Amino acid sequence: MALTAAALVSSATAQAAKAEETIKVGVLHSLSGTMAISETTLKDVMLMLVAEQNKKGGLLGKKLEAVVVDPASNWPLFAEKARELISQHKVSAVFGAWTSVSRKSVLPVFKELNSILFYPVQYEGEESERNVFYTGAAPNQQAIPAVDYLAKEEKVERWVLAGTDYVYPRTTNKILEAYLKSKGVKTEDIMISYTPFGHSDWQTIVADIKKFGSAGKKTAVVSTINGDANVPFYKELANQGVKATDIPVVAFSVGEEELAGIDTKPLVGHLAAWNYFQSVETPENKAFIEKWKDFTKNAKRVTNDPMEAHVVGFNMWVKAVEKAGTTDPDKVIDTIIGVQVPNLTGGVSEMLPNHHITKPVLIGEIKDDGQFDTVWQTDGLVPGEAWSKHLEGSKDLIADWKTLKCGNYNTVTKKCGA
Amino acid sequence: MIRLYILLRVFVLLVGMTGVALAGEYEDALPKFTTGNYSDTEEAIGAVAASRHPLSLALIEALQDGRLLAGMGQVFIRDAAGDLLNAETGQPHGATSRDLKPIRVNNRIRRAIEAALGGLTLLSTNAGTRMEAARAVFRSRDAAALPTLAHAIAQESDPTVRQALQQARAAILVGKADASPGDRLEAVETLRVRGDQDALALLSNLPADSVPELTESARKAADGIRSRLAFWNVLQNVWYGVSLGSVLLLAAIGLAITFGTMGVINMAHGEMVMLGAYTTFVVQELIRTYVPGLFEISLFIALPLAFLIAGAVGIFIERTIIRFLYGRPLETLLATWGLSLILQQGVRTIFGPTNREVSTPVWMSGALDIGAMSLTYNRIAIVVFAFSVFAILLLVLRYTSLGLYMRAVTQNRRMAGSMGIRTNRIDALAFGLGSGVAGIAGVALSQIDNVSPNLGQGYIIDSFMVVVFGGVGNLWGTLVGSMTLGIANKLLEPYAGAVLGKIALLIAIILFIQRRPRGLFALRGRAVEA
Amino acid sequence: MKTRFFFDRQTVLVLSFLTAAAVLVPAMNGLAAPGSALHLPDHIVPLLGKYLCFALLALSVDLIWGFCGILSLGHGAFFALGGYAMGMYLMRQIGPRGVYSDPILPDFMVFLNWKDLPWFWQGFDWFPFAALMVLLVPGCLAFVFGWFAFRSRVTGVYFSIITQAMTFALMLAFFRNDMGLGGNNGLTDFKEILGFPVQAGSTRIALFVLSVAALAGGYLLCRWVVGTKFGKVLVAVRDAESRTRFLGYRVEHYKLAVFTLSAMLAGVAGALYVPQVGIINPSEFAPASSIEVVIWVAVGGRGTLVGAILGAMVVNAGKTWFTGALPEFWLFALGGLFVFVTLFMPNGILGAAGDLWERSSQKLRAARSPKPLTHAAE
Repeated sequence: MALTAAALVSSATAQAAKAEETIKVGVLHSLSGTMAISETTLKDVMLMLVAEQNKKGGLLGKKLEAVVVDPASNWPLFAEKARELISQHKVSAVFGAWTSVSRKSVLPVFKELNSILFYPVQYEGEESERNVFYTGAAPNQQAIPAVDYLAKEEKVERWVLAGTDYVYPRTTNKILEAYLKSKGVKTEDIMISYTPFGHSDWQTIVADIKKFGSAGKKTAVVSTINGDANVPFYKELANQGVKATDIPVVAFSVGEEELAGIDTKPLVGHLAAWNYFQSVETPENKAFIEKWKDFTKNAKRVTNDPMEAHVVGFNMWVKAVEKAGTTDPDKVIDTIIGVQVPNLTGGVSEMLPNHHITKPVLIGEIKDDGQFDTVWQTDGLVPGEAWSKHLEGSKDLIADWKTLKCGNYNTVTKKCGA
Repeated sequence: MIRLYILLRVFVLLVGMTGVALAGEYEDALPKFTTGNYSDTEEAIGAVAASRHPLSLALIEALQDGRLLAGMGQVFIRDAAGDLLNAETGQPHGATSRDLKPIRVNNRIRRAIEAALGGLTLLSTNAGTRMEAARAVFRSRDAAALPTLAHAIAQESDPTVRQALQQARAAILVGKADASPGDRLEAVETLRVRGDQDALALLSNLPADSVPELTESARKAADGIRSRLAFWNVLQNVWYGVSLGSVLLLAAIGLAITFGTMGVINMAHGEMVMLGAYTTFVVQELIRTYVPGLFEISLFIALPLAFLIAGAVGIFIERTIIRFLYGRPLETLLATWGLSLILQQGVRTIFGPTNREVSTPVWMSGALDIGAMSLTYNRIAIVVFAFSVFAILLLVLRYTSLGLYMRAVTQNRRMAGSMGIRTNRIDALAFGLGSGVAGIAGVALSQIDNVSPNLGQGYIIDSFMVVVFGGVGNLWGTLVGSMTLGIANKLLEPYAGAVLGKIALLIAIILFIQRRPRGLFALRGRAVEA
Repeated sequence: MKTRFFFDRQTVLVLSFLTAAAVLVPAMNGLAAPGSALHLPDHIVPLLGKYLCFALLALSVDLIWGFCGILSLGHGAFFALGGYAMGMYLMRQIGPRGVYSDPILPDFMVFLNWKDLPWFWQGFDWFPFAALMVLLVPGCLAFVFGWFAFRSRVTGVYFSIITQAMTFALMLAFFRNDMGLGGNNGLTDFKEILGFPVQAGSTRIALFVLSVAALAGGYLLCRWVVGTKFGKVLVAVRDAESRTRFLGYRVEHYKLAVFTLSAMLAGVAGALYVPQVGIINPSEFAPASSIEVVIWVAVGGRGTLVGAILGAMVVNAGKTWFTGALPEFWLFALGGLFVFVTLFMPNGILGAAGDLWERSSQKLRAARSPKPLTHAAE
């Protein structure tokens, strides 16, 4: 052990000596294990963004350097690797994490060592930390607009809320249930179903959905089914002949990347709600897709929503660092609030005092080429809400790191964290 | 006389005017396609369908296929040859399609298209199209289709299509307040005979103002359908169980062979399944690029290749690693686990970490309806395939010399060796055979699951359970084990949920092993105890 | 006699090494100036603490596998249960400092609308109770499981597989949010332990020293167990179970006792692990992690106790280094290591080192020294 310690020490000091020459950016995405399927792409996009920035002359006159580590879809390892990035490699900011549990695992580390994490994935909300910037969608930027669309455009009256059994679907479904009931949907018109991670035999559940949907009222499925389980789910839908015109499925975790593994012809018309689609036609997006294909040397690589979140997050960080003139986390945390950068869908996203950003909400229908056709989008950008108004425990809470300096301020008791 | 003449003139004039008005309806509807607004498009479809214009059908079909283009305030149909026709006149249009954009379609529009096509194709000459039309009308329940339906039913010769048409008519009539009570009672009867979930929904959602007699007969019919469905539901669950069981059988049977002969748990077994699935992917990619015509039989091409590739990898593993670990089965377990990590990461490096697309051939899409049960073709194919693999392996073990040697080695390795069987060689071949079978299981699993580096991981524990539950060294044990577990799982799932059902099953297996420490079909004999 | 001497020397080595660690690490971390070559950065301390917990877990596996031939592929479950018991204590210590400021309910219960604390959470706010549960929960599970398994003589690969089934079933159960243990997110965001803030450097050092003490204690306990007559019977069971039974020993009692003891050791390891890594989640129950523990033992050298400690340290340090240095390829390295060790170092690092030592000293000492491990019956 002494040997190990010595080896680690020497490598740490060697790293420390080098740290002066470049500004380091940590990339904390799983490259192996179950989450590699989603997270590897995000590592690639970070490498591309860093290379781009260096082509533009770097940051504050220094070159950027990406430090990539592999937390291997192992949650304690996420915390360990975060610690390694911050204290050993002295990175100025970390871009990473995908699952809620990985974010929860690294949170204490970022708080303790006072660094910055950019978290690019849509999540359940109910959180606002000083050291974390949430560039993915909060529930009000994805779930609620999607349900509104279905109710209005497809005249849906009966709802299946199907999800994988973890915190994001649980919270999202809780919010949606409360929201639907407030809109007059009856309890018997809502079916909630949870399945384990990686569930692969969907015969019974799809049959149940069919049965639930043939009660004479228009039915839709709101799916928060996670990653791996989606392919067998959609294959079963196609096989059992559940067509989008009968029972549309709107998914919050299925993007271009997931569709690349499925034959989408039988799925045409099923929906997804995101803040970005590869098919969005803006000059920014076109340029981005071209760069991405060049960088990966693969004309078939697709782009997706969490990638855009990293693009926006990275650009915000760069702008904030330039504004602050330093990479010191305390300064950057203060200056980044209010920073505006163009997103890829033609709008300008802003970092809000609650550490979430403004985003457009897009509803897309799956096309037969694995892309989405945007059928609806919000007029402007929707500000992300850290605390949901539809949940009992959080309806009085707000987050404001600018004036209140608090992530969970209670508007009733007028106290922070009370 | 003159009066009569005048009346006639007025009549003709009226008819003429209506004709003109109808023709105008079609033309008037066209500009609505160009607004880019879904509500306008939906209205336009209804108007075009109602106009009975000669071009209505062509136009709506074009819209469905994305061949209806709009631009410069006009609408164009692109025909099969790629030429543009003016939708108003049906005449060719010289312009290029550069400035034209396909009219966008969403689910609402698709539904409107289906309903419209249903009404327009009820009198088609093709029986299949009429059948589709009848189903579409059944779903849309568009009262405007009633006259056409009556006409179609009268001239229909095919009994099944006729039945579908009558059901469509019943679906419209049963909830139509102004239809005659006799018609509506008849409709209830027709729906009772249909007896599926849709009929049940129609019967239990009658308008509240219906006459008591009708409500009563509908209630009775609905009760009848419910009890019938409950019966079929059990059968359906058993079928789901059989199909899950055959997936387990496929995944486990290769393991049963290697475990049976060598007593080795091959932790890299799941990766052999994964190799088979990736072989399918590569075969499909190659076929798509070079010989698209063979796509429908791509799975049959993939099968032998998957067997050979996974089998070869299996033999390679046996010759380079496992052979040195004889007599230390638990060490083999650890080494093969290391191997499975290497294989997973290898595939991840070569093919990337994301899922790969393996398509389902057309003949495996869709479902077969038996009673109120729906059996999807791909599951039927997997069940049939699993049982064929099982039968072939059984024959190989029973009637070939390799099978004889393998059984001998399974029962008593030392004795078999003494009788001149080269146990080493048999081990290598058995390992190759088991891996090869895992490979072809991968071809089947690629149809229902992710083709990703993690594919094998999902099946390895379940395969263990099947083999241990069924007993080692006996293929029948594997069959009974997988079917029992599959069916029990699926019968538990509706009551306990997917997770609790599985936990209950795992506990049941643990307890079962206490009762029969060597599984359901234990081999008897001295050597087995050693 | 020689065997005893050999082991004694090992014991002395292990203990002095651990004592050195317990003294040097805090000194290098706290006293040496940051930047000096001797300084041990803060992030290394919990890392080393984690290795120590893994070493204790590996030790518990070696006790049953190396000395009694019971290959448990579900020991991660006992480790995780101990961890959960500690995690529940730490969750209760958060008190009203959670984001919703609920004085009793943990955050995850508040936002899933739980109204009351479930019954099995009662008492965990009291440390002695939690500490008792760290031992009792894994111990009871192991006792019940082992009682069923050993009584009906489930052995070898069959036993290994049902232990996998056990940990797999527990993993599925703990993933369920309805269990009331946080589901996939598990228990995290701990604030303090026994009144000391978990994040503070001094707490870290204390936890580290405690881990060293636990490992040393665990090692001495195992050493003592295998040295007694009880231990000799265990080895007899390992080498020839039927014969031992025919000699009149109640084999299942011996197995059950050592299995339960080992599960409790694993529970202690888990309890020390959780405050140091700051999270406990159902993935600790994953069947693959239990297999990995066995591999640490195999890498170090089975049936030597020291080997288990060595193996856990080497493999985990390698993992830390590889996941940072070769993120894309570390699985090749890890997988390759396992294949290599099983093929070429059947007795692990310690066995290989022993062989080398033996070969060089054979000329000097004509005497034949016994191998630490006989070819074991599985």
